[in-house]
Amino acid sequence: MEVTFKDVSLSYDGSREILHHLNFTIPEGTLVSILGPSGCGKSTTLMMISGLLAPTSGKIFFGDKDVTKQDALARKVGMVFQNYALYPHLTVLENIMFPLKMAKVKKPERKKRALELAKLVHVEDQINKKPGALSGGQQQRVAIARALAKEPSLLLLDEPLSNLDARLRIEMREEIRRIQQETGVTTIFVTHDQDEALHISDHIMVLNNGDMQQFSSAETLYDNPSNLFVAKFIGEPVINTLEISDFQGELDQHVPADILKNAVSVGIRPEALQDHDSGSDTIATIETTVKEFEKYGREKNAQLDFHGKKLLTTEIENNLEKDQKLTLYLQKSGFYLFDQDGKRIFGGDQDAK
Amino acid sequence: MKVKIAMVLRYVILILGGIIMLMPFLWMLSTSLKTQPETVKIPPIWIPKQLQFSNYIDAFKAAPFAQYFLNSVFVTTVTTVGQLFTSILAAFAFSRLNFYGKNIIFVIFLGTMMVPVEMLIIPNFVTLSKLHLVNTYAALIVPWLASFFTVFTLRQNFQSVPDQLYYAAKIDGASDWHYLWHVLVPISKSTITAVTVLQVIGSWNSFMWPLIVTNSENLRTLPVGLQAFTGDAGTNYAQLMAASTFVILPMVILYLFLQKYIIAGISKTGLKG
Repeated sequence: MEVTFKDVSLSYDGSREILHHLNFTIPEGTLVSILGPSGCGKSTTLMMISGLLAPTSGKIFFGDKDVTKQDALARKVGMVFQNYALYPHLTVLENIMFPLKMAKVKKPERKKRALELAKLVHVEDQINKKPGALSGGQQQRVAIARALAKEPSLLLLDEPLSNLDARLRIEMREEIRRIQQETGVTTIFVTHDQDEALHISDHIMVLNNGDMQQFSSAETLYDNPSNLFVAKFIGEPVINTLEISDFQGELDQHVPADILKNAVSVGIRPEALQDHDSGSDTIATIETTVKEFEKYGREKNAQLDFHGKKLLTTEIENNLEKDQKLTLYLQKSGFYLFDQDGKRIFGGDQDAK
Repeated sequence: MKVKIAMVLRYVILILGGIIMLMPFLWMLSTSLKTQPETVKIPPIWIPKQLQFSNYIDAFKAAPFAQYFLNSVFVTTVTTVGQLFTSILAAFAFSRLNFYGKNIIFVIFLGTMMVPVEMLIIPNFVTLSKLHLVNTYAALIVPWLASFFTVFTLRQNFQSVPDQLYYAAKIDGASDWHYLWHVLVPISKSTITAVTVLQVIGSWNSFMWPLIVTNSENLRTLPVGLQAFTGDAGTNYAQLMAASTFVILPMVILYLFLQKYIIAGISKTGLKG
């Protein structure tokens, strides 16, 4: 099911807005992540899609149908909660059967469907246990099976992996991807973990302070961040950010003057600072001093001093000494300028959204 | 060493407390097996010379206890079931629903918990007599169909249930009514058991109210029926205690079986029984 938000805003108390004028369309059959820091409104957005929360203004469409006024009961979505919210007094099978029972499906039929779902999520050997006797990963699987039981048009996942340990998290995110592809259900996944979002989703929506920052593929987010927030939020290690005033003429020959005049912040990805000239992609050179050099495994990281500001690079070929002078070649891909509102005005592909 | 002394002291105090608690029950048992002169003997004796089991048979014959027993069972059952039903609904409303004046109403109800039960006897009696319900089963039951103590205890428990479970039920297609009976009530089993047992005991032991509001013999409950042994010529203590033993026996058995739930249910809400 395609989900469309048209100018949706929400405020709990009428004065302070939690979400501001959201406009987006989630295409049918895709897996979309809503990504953002804590308190940015991503779970709230999910609650509005589910119908547990009604928007203060704006309209929500499922396909062509306006569902703004419908509650959770009527919207028929499946949802997995952060703490799974399984019914503790029911067995695994009864948990999966519960939505079917509420939909008044006949008992033999609902048992059959529940068993199929238990197989799909690989908990068929646990069906007679109570949720309390299951591990976190198994509870997660049961919660997904329950959410899928009534063949929902949408599957919503609210930070489903945050209560799992690191290894299980990676396993489960692949499971979610597999289940989504097997069932073809449009899936919306809320997370604060960029790694999770980048690995699992077709598209990522970045939210901050109740505003949509960017909604695009993982690759576009990284290569063409639409603003400073997205540039800083996506990428590990974090992008180097400097003020335009930290540069002393190094950019003058290389960036058009009318753009440079509006630029306020500079973002440089750590891999865009190279210690050798790559040729065509190099747009400028800067003189730095080595502050720290670390080498572990295949990785070489250097902390550099540039006019009193710190820079990090991961693209060092030769070992370095502390306090050594170093010329760095700034690569065009991975170099961005932002104006006073944080909007990207240089670097990347200007046409990309 | 210090730890050991503390331990011993703790047990001594607990055992003493236990003995004090048990004393009336033991005295009741002992008296129920005495002859009439032995019951009033000074200094009191604990173990009768000869155990008078015939007191139990005589006590049964003294009044229609089978009828009283049925009355007690009936009143207790209806009161408890009715009160649980109203309290579960009210507790759900106070814990989950939003309605105008919710907090004010709650505080007013909370205030009623401070009114002693004895003070309610007269207004309740006047109300019932105006409704022409005095001396009926309804009189024994209706005033106790709502209890704010039960509402409050259940509400505290319902509030400890995570919101996400409610949302999950909503997403799964459950109405408030389904959520209440298929999810909330089953998972609040221990608290519900605790308030049920407390209510059963309270209702079973209730004396003052049935005494005041009924006067026909066929409406008498067991505690009221015990008066049969107190006449103008004095009290037959041995038979009274024999009958009392019979009256409290079901409650003692009930408590022994369910004490785990009672303690868990009450300690969870931080309330005294």
